[in-house]
Amino acid sequence: MNTIDPNQHYRVDPHARFRVLDGEGIFVLQKAGEVLVVNPVGAFIVEQLGARLTIDEVVTAITERYAIDRARARADADSLIEALLEAGAIEAS
Amino acid sequence: MSTLTLEFAQCRYRLTGLLPEQEELVRARFGALERAEACGHDVEVEVLHSADPHRFMPKLVGPVEYRISVAYEPSTVLVEGIGFSATIDRASLRTHMHTCESDEWFVDAFENLFRVLVSYRLFAEGALVMHSAAFSDGERGFLFCGRSGAGKSTLCGLADQLQLQILSDELNAVMATAEGFGLQAMPFAGDFGQMPMPTPPLPLTGLLGLRQGARPGLLACSQTEAVSRIVASCPYVNADPMLVEPLTDRAVQLTGRVPLRVLSFTKDTTFWKVLDREYNRPQPALSR
Repeated sequence: MNTIDPNQHYRVDPHARFRVLDGEGIFVLQKAGEVLVVNPVGAFIVEQLGARLTIDEVVTAITERYAIDRARARADADSLIEALLEAGAIEAS
Repeated sequence: MSTLTLEFAQCRYRLTGLLPEQEELVRARFGALERAEACGHDVEVEVLHSADPHRFMPKLVGPVEYRISVAYEPSTVLVEGIGFSATIDRASLRTHMHTCESDEWFVDAFENLFRVLVSYRLFAEGALVMHSAAFSDGERGFLFCGRSGAGKSTLCGLADQLQLQILSDELNAVMATAEGFGLQAMPFAGDFGQMPMPTPPLPLTGLLGLRQGARPGLLACSQTEAVSRIVASCPYVNADPMLVEPLTDRAVQLTGRVPLRVLSFTKDTTFWKVLDREYNRPQPALSR
């Protein structure tokens, strides 16, 4: 079951910094002084969020780039976004 | 009121406003760093006394660890801990320390503040202060970054059995040198290490993360993981919104030149054979 609103926008939390290095992504969470690493698919998703795409649009972008079906792409995106929200790395915007 | 000047990593810190008992306590802990006042100073720490203990973080009962609180403002860094609060000016690092303590609690408070201050000073000089263990065999320096529970003290205990020179099992600094990167001991040791002498940094031969495993070995890791390990290990500055970006840049530079590998180790001294073999001493180009 999908728990993330497909029309929602997200952005990097103001207390976090994100950058891509060798295809992978790094979040520095300033409040906690902690770091999260996301794999290349995760980095791609975060970059799409930064381009102001909705979740629905991000899912489309994933299917186009990685040639996977929409249900799988949606599940991957939801899972990552839930984890990043819980960590304080991104916020709804 | 008394004044005391401490020198560490080519920076002189002048403490003013000390009560005589505070001066003695600081001297007892950091006396190896004391310098004649006539030498001048780079950073001033003014100690201001407050009779009201309620304005500070209260003392804890029992052998518990606590974390100081650090807040980041555009022009200052605010530090609070048991029995003290302090304001550090970002530009000059001039510090005002308010305290109600003049016994052992004072020197603990000062040490906590000094860690922050030294971290900022060294960062401004291009260095990275890292939660890490570090030791040397006299020629090669090895640094193992990792936060609490990573195995730093365990590894230092094992290195101690091998009679390796332990810099610290808590905080060490990596600084750029003419030859590459150097390893600087810090005056803040945990269970191992000692007050650093004013010697040049050791060459940084090995930059490693730690993982306790079934057998000793070295594991490669991506530069992304390496950078994340470095950034996560740098206290204070990695939570400072004004320094996170340059910190990450610096970690990218460091790991681009000194690849970080992960040492898998067991609770015995066999890890040293792996390190000694992998990081061979440089051989002379020509020998007769």
